[in-house]
Amino acid sequence: MSRRLAAGTAAAVITLLTLTASGCGSTGLTAPRLQTSLSSTFANLYVLQQTEQGNPKPSAASLKSQASCQKGGTPDIPQDGSGVWLCQITYLVAGPGYPVIAKYNVDVQTDGCYAADGDGPASVNGSPTITGPHYAQLINPLSLIDGCFDTT
Amino acid sequence: MTEATGHVVEARGVSKWFGETTALDAVDFTVTPGVVHGLLGPNGAGKTTLLSALFGLVLPDEGTLRLFGRTRAEAGPGWLDGVAGFVETPRFYPYLSGRRNLAVLAGLDGGDAAALIDQALERAGLADARGRRVKGYSLGMRQRLGLAAAMLRRPRLLILDEPTNGMDPAGIRDLRTALRQLARDGVTVILSSHNMTQVEEICDAVTVLHRGKIAFAGRLDAMRADAPDPVWRLRTGDDGAALEQARRSAGVKAERHDDGGLVVFAAQDPMDEYVLTLARDGVAIRGLELDVTPLESLFFQLTGEAGQPGETRQTPAGLFIPPARPDNVPVTEEVP
Amino acid sequence: MTLAAGQWPAYAEPAAGPAAGPSDPRQRSGTLVVWRLELAKLRGQWRVRAIALMCLVGPFVIVAGLNVQSATPGDTAFGQWVHTSGFAIPMVILGFGGQWLLPVGTAVVAGDIFSSEDHFGTWKTILTRSRSRGELFAGKFLAACTFATAAMVLLIITGLLAGLLAGTQPVVGLGGQLVTASHATELVVVSWLSVMPPVLGFTALAIFTSVASRNSAVGIGVPVVLTLAFQVVTLIALPAWGQQVLLSTPFTAWHGFWEQPAYVGPFLYGLLTSAVWFTLCSAAAWLVFRRRTIGGAS
Repeated sequence: MSRRLAAGTAAAVITLLTLTASGCGSTGLTAPRLQTSLSSTFANLYVLQQTEQGNPKPSAASLKSQASCQKGGTPDIPQDGSGVWLCQITYLVAGPGYPVIAKYNVDVQTDGCYAADGDGPASVNGSPTITGPHYAQLINPLSLIDGCFDTT
Repeated sequence: MTEATGHVVEARGVSKWFGETTALDAVDFTVTPGVVHGLLGPNGAGKTTLLSALFGLVLPDEGTLRLFGRTRAEAGPGWLDGVAGFVETPRFYPYLSGRRNLAVLAGLDGGDAAALIDQALERAGLADARGRRVKGYSLGMRQRLGLAAAMLRRPRLLILDEPTNGMDPAGIRDLRTALRQLARDGVTVILSSHNMTQVEEICDAVTVLHRGKIAFAGRLDAMRADAPDPVWRLRTGDDGAALEQARRSAGVKAERHDDGGLVVFAAQDPMDEYVLTLARDGVAIRGLELDVTPLESLFFQLTGEAGQPGETRQTPAGLFIPPARPDNVPVTEEVP
Repeated sequence: MTLAAGQWPAYAEPAAGPAAGPSDPRQRSGTLVVWRLELAKLRGQWRVRAIALMCLVGPFVIVAGLNVQSATPGDTAFGQWVHTSGFAIPMVILGFGGQWLLPVGTAVVAGDIFSSEDHFGTWKTILTRSRSRGELFAGKFLAACTFATAAMVLLIITGLLAGLLAGTQPVVGLGGQLVTASHATELVVVSWLSVMPPVLGFTALAIFTSVASRNSAVGIGVPVVLTLAFQVVTLIALPAWGQQVLLSTPFTAWHGFWEQPAYVGPFLYGLLTSAVWFTLCSAAAWLVFRRRTIGGAS
């Protein structure tokens, strides 16, 4: 038994690995999914940041945040898969005429989770801490954003 | 389908092969109730395979096997009801004591097996050692524990694979007495061995296996009737003259033995005649002893392989000369 | 030491009766008998006790360790929030250790429960009692799964307790939303429960390798190696369905529960993956075991 069983198992595993490695099918790690997740997460965290700083609490919807991401920072490579993506999130604070752009270096993993490292402006996501009431030092929620999106 | 034929074990045409090797070749094996049945054969004959098949440890490739009239499929989980014993050296959990091991096995059996543990340990002579880990048991002690474990099941069929391995002569004697008592109580015992003398002393019926085939099956008395003459070792002052005389004597055949002296094949009376004739002719008898009993001789004939070192040797006259053998070939200890 | 003659126990009457089938109640309870005995044997093993101890005190040790320093675990979801909210702690344990700690933990028991009998040569001893091969197989299989489940439940309880002791402030979810204490408690429990299926999948895998190899080192080692292999393979740019085939992927399906809006796609696929691995490995183990020759008979 053991030889036949081992041979059968090995054949099945090799077939499976070949099929999957041949890459027929998307990884599910696409720009639209990343952008959707990042923009809504950013909005919620912005609300949190403002609340913690003691500022008036905006509504997440009013920010109308929109993310635009490029893998590797350039459109010339396939915009699909894990790795470093450069994202810009455009959102409105003081009215439609004054968009603010927050930049992030996003490391996307194969399971659809990402870590977005804030890359400016400094007042938004440049500093790892923010100052709360009574000069308390709190973690800046916008400095490092952990999020995930559905790859299936 | 109940015990229509009344046989405790009924195997028909059982075959088993392992790759290229045929372990059992169309074996028919029948055991009647209440007897002590010996399963004989040299090492590698298939005894352990056959006994393993009875226990369901080995599943035959061909043939049917019935215990108490039921096949394994018909009996379902009750296949081994009333059946107990062991195949090869009994093995236990070395990190548990003798008593704990029996408790585990009794737990698997269910019923009132647990209540019998202390009694079984005493009967097996392990009362003192019951609290010790089996790791420290000798081979003989493990054989006894195997017997105790078997008795927990109140068996009507006891199957023992070379149970006297590692036992001292006193233990062997006790085992013989116990098994004969069991047979009187109605328990059927199947005992395997490669030693005809032991089998002769205790069994009523015998099946001889050779290279996976049945070489003989029947009652011991029938076997004795078929047996050739006993074999004697004879040392004389003049082997040449003794050989000459043997050729002239009726019912006596003699050959030279490799270790010196002669091998003589003769029944008791012709042998007596022959010895007296030698004395009258002036040939001194320096030593005479019974080497091989008639049954042993038959056994060697049935299973002997000519030309194999350490096995019996067949002379041109068709006589089987048994190898010079020590009494009890020591069995190597199994590594736990 | 003598074998006393003539005083062996009296013998039962000959058993007559219809053949028993698999629906016989005796057979169903036979499995439970084996299951209870196996659990008793497991309780005596030092490995099992060590794992139980780790599940009991591990989370508290981790909380204490986190308390003595201000740095936070990087590279893991909820890592940055461990000093802010106690709920982040069981999630960090799940995220960080879940993918290798749990498979290894179950393999240590499941990869040995069958092959230990081969090691001691005791298959022929327990297979010649009143329990069929099926009952022995099912009982041992159930015992391995019971151990995995019990260890997980213990870890959920102690992980949550350790987190609650550290602080019940709201925690930041993966969608940027603030999650209140009661909701966070639910999500922590559900996240941990969501990895039970792949843990059972690994249990079945370890059982298969130990039955097939008759060797505890292989039975435990192969699932451990596979865990590492999966984690390496997952880094390759496999298509999404390729990722789902690996038994390591369901360990991270809980991410979707913490997102806003929450999504359960990966969890459902993970259930399927775990079920397929579990079924295939269990079936293969049984097929190998049911007609195997026991002993050195030849």
